[in-house]
Amino acid sequence: MRPNAQRLSLLLAALLVLAACGGGGGTAGGTAQPAGPPQRGGELTVLESSSFAGGWPSGLDPATNTTGGANISQMSAIYGGLFLLTANDDGSDPRVVPNQAEGYELLDGGRTVKITLRDGIRFSDGTPFDAQAVVFNLQRALASPCSCKPTWPLADGGITAQDARTVVLTFTRPYAAVINSFPVANTNWIASPTALQKMGEEQFRINPVGAGPFTVVSNQLSSLLVLQRNPTYFKPDRPYLDKLTFQSIGGDQPAYQALLAGQAQAYEGLSTTPLLEQAQSSGRLTVTVQPPTSPYVIQLNTKTAPFDDKRAREAIYRATDFDSISKGLFRGLYPVSQSFTGPGGLFHEQAVPGYPTYDPEQAKQLVSRLGGLTVELGTLNGYVAQQVMTALQTQWQAAGITVTTKNYELSTLVQQFNSGQWQSMLQTAGAWDPASGVGVGFRFGSTSPFSGVADPQLDQLLDGAAATVDPAGRQQLYNEAGKYISDNAYAPFGLAFAAANIATPGVYGPGLTTKIPPIVVNAGVIWDEVWRVQQQ
Amino acid sequence: MTASVDAGRHRAGPAFLTSPGMRLVGKRLLLAVPIVLGVSILTFWVLNLIPGSAAQQLLGPEATPAQVRALELELGLDRPAVLRYLDWLGGAVTGDLGQSLVSRQPVTDLLGERLAVSGELVVLAFVISLGLAVPTALLAAHRPNRLFDRISMVVSITGLSVANYVLALLLVLVFAVQMAVLPAIGFVPLSQGLGENLRSMALPAAAIAFPLYCFYTRFLRGDLVDQLQGEDYVTTARAKGIGPWQVLVRHAFRNSAFGLITVVGLNLGSLIGGTVIVEQIFALPGIGQLMLQAINTRDFVVVQACVVVFAVVAVLANLLADLLYAVLDPRIRYGSR
Repeated sequence: MRPNAQRLSLLLAALLVLAACGGGGGTAGGTAQPAGPPQRGGELTVLESSSFAGGWPSGLDPATNTTGGANISQMSAIYGGLFLLTANDDGSDPRVVPNQAEGYELLDGGRTVKITLRDGIRFSDGTPFDAQAVVFNLQRALASPCSCKPTWPLADGGITAQDARTVVLTFTRPYAAVINSFPVANTNWIASPTALQKMGEEQFRINPVGAGPFTVVSNQLSSLLVLQRNPTYFKPDRPYLDKLTFQSIGGDQPAYQALLAGQAQAYEGLSTTPLLEQAQSSGRLTVTVQPPTSPYVIQLNTKTAPFDDKRAREAIYRATDFDSISKGLFRGLYPVSQSFTGPGGLFHEQAVPGYPTYDPEQAKQLVSRLGGLTVELGTLNGYVAQQVMTALQTQWQAAGITVTTKNYELSTLVQQFNSGQWQSMLQTAGAWDPASGVGVGFRFGSTSPFSGVADPQLDQLLDGAAATVDPAGRQQLYNEAGKYISDNAYAPFGLAFAAANIATPGVYGPGLTTKIPPIVVNAGVIWDEVWRVQQQ
Repeated sequence: MTASVDAGRHRAGPAFLTSPGMRLVGKRLLLAVPIVLGVSILTFWVLNLIPGSAAQQLLGPEATPAQVRALELELGLDRPAVLRYLDWLGGAVTGDLGQSLVSRQPVTDLLGERLAVSGELVVLAFVISLGLAVPTALLAAHRPNRLFDRISMVVSITGLSVANYVLALLLVLVFAVQMAVLPAIGFVPLSQGLGENLRSMALPAAAIAFPLYCFYTRFLRGDLVDQLQGEDYVTTARAKGIGPWQVLVRHAFRNSAFGLITVVGLNLGSLIGGTVIVEQIFALPGIGQLMLQAINTRDFVVVQACVVVFAVVAVLANLLADLLYAVLDPRIRYGSR
């Protein structure tokens, strides 16, 4: 969330809580249970915070969009996706299922994957959605600089079309996470090569053409995206909605009020705690807190002082009490993790054996033995991150550590990481699948510029886990990696945050009113299944 | 006959152009050039001081140094700032404000579609605030320290104490959430009907107008009371038997209008600042929203264009204020010679 909006939300949260308490009835909050089967028709306006999902300044071409991780909703509505992340309504049993793909096969011990496409799919411009189109898009997407592109260990010429419906990916080493990486990456969104060629990149990014459930009616960048039902969509009787509008809005507070005023029907990514509590207690909106996948981590730069000394790292572990932060600042909404995935993520480990827990006395002793400890802690601007950073500063100072804090914008954060001249950073770690997206390797791999650790043994564990096809084997390796990080005091993990989705009564849909683990920050709403109760 | 008419026409042209009013306009416009130029230089300089690579920001954290370098070359960000500024200036004087670094759309197109929204918002805010402030101030000054004056003072102080984004959310809460009579967000263009357009702008305009109304009311009321209590011309008018309302409206208000015009002209800067926040809250696709997005994405070209547009508007508003002085007071008009 942008700082202005944060301040605004904080200032007014209490006011709104008081005022909105006087509101009328409506349906009860909590998990939405539709009274009948899904209904066809109607329109839906979805609000997206301008500081994250509501910003698509570079357009919606998967290969030139630089904020793809934030724009998953818009992309999914237009392009559909080769694969989808789905789950039971309560968020249990999350799994990646084929969507525009019909199936896949891992061959050669995970070095090759063969993806079969559904027969007969066409882009909304009438051209065929075939293997050539997919290969063209995968190559374009992988050449993109977007952080939403996957980090596949592709062999040279490793993307080929075997026939009209089969795409083959070849890797230099086994890569078990390949299918799980699709829903978090721009390779999932297949654009019409013909439309792209006809329009040119400049126009295509404004009026993209895909084979998803909706087609673009109008697109005012980072402001308003109006979509309509794709009559040639490959799933019969889908999507349910006739029209879907994404409206950018300046943060949680105005979005919440707009929903109460009936000006929109859904908002993705509510993170302001007082508003979340108000929404939950008011009974006027459906609130769906998604199962968190990515915990906060205090990255310690082990390549330079003071954290090249294990005692300094241990002092940070012992001085940090994430349980108190979770309870005190966030009413216990976000569970605390000891490893690199949250409870909603794959291979989550609730408790890591021997994890150095909060012990202020031991922290003080360690600081004393070090002859004092002075630390700079930084984070990326954001409501939750700033709250956590301030609390950490207080806790660490109580343990005798001198702390200065620093907020970064993305560009300056990247510059700071690249310079190597940083000491500690509060960041999020992991992803739904630790080997995909901004996963564990991003924060702990030796070759990642965003890692404070250079440890070949840890690299080996993480690479081995990513390569292991057998889930039990992967779990074992990730558990070992979690313990290894803990034993070496590389980085304490914290609360696993996930934003909530809110919707007005009568709106239902997977990921919107049911739980699906977040893909990046927001859950991947399955838009062709979203529906509204129609007025009789 | 024909010859004399022709001669008259011939004389009318240069006479109009050399009239005191036109001289004043010309003089002020000439002064505006270095101001706008200065603003553009300052903006360019400040934007270049911001740490971090714009190309890195555009490409995201996973971009490789080679990709960042390639984009810097493509966008010309590797060139010296002075050359880039001169290039930009060369385009700007011909109406070409460049291409957005992020969306690659022409900046003039981006501004064009949003300027109308912000322009309407500002005009409505001025109309509402001045339309209400003048009669309120006249009524309050008519009987100072009586009930109406005291009520208007309480309202004004309240309005001046509340930030416009707080007011915006309160207005939404009352008029959109509780009473459901006005929309909470969104913009309806004029092409879809004047009524709906005004409904969509009512709350944003009110959020900006109310603090202005309070300020103008207090300012004008104070000046009017000063005029009524201390100026000889008021005593003279009263001695002539002119009624109190006529003294107030035709004499005192005419003099007080000078101060009000100055304040309104100077206020425009803060008013534009107010639109940035209000457009965010009401999801209005205006120039303030565009500028905020451009700042977040480090789209320097768009930020530069927005700031220059704001500067031009502020300069034009002050020019208008100067012209209004001249209209109200011939001494200023002829003094411009």
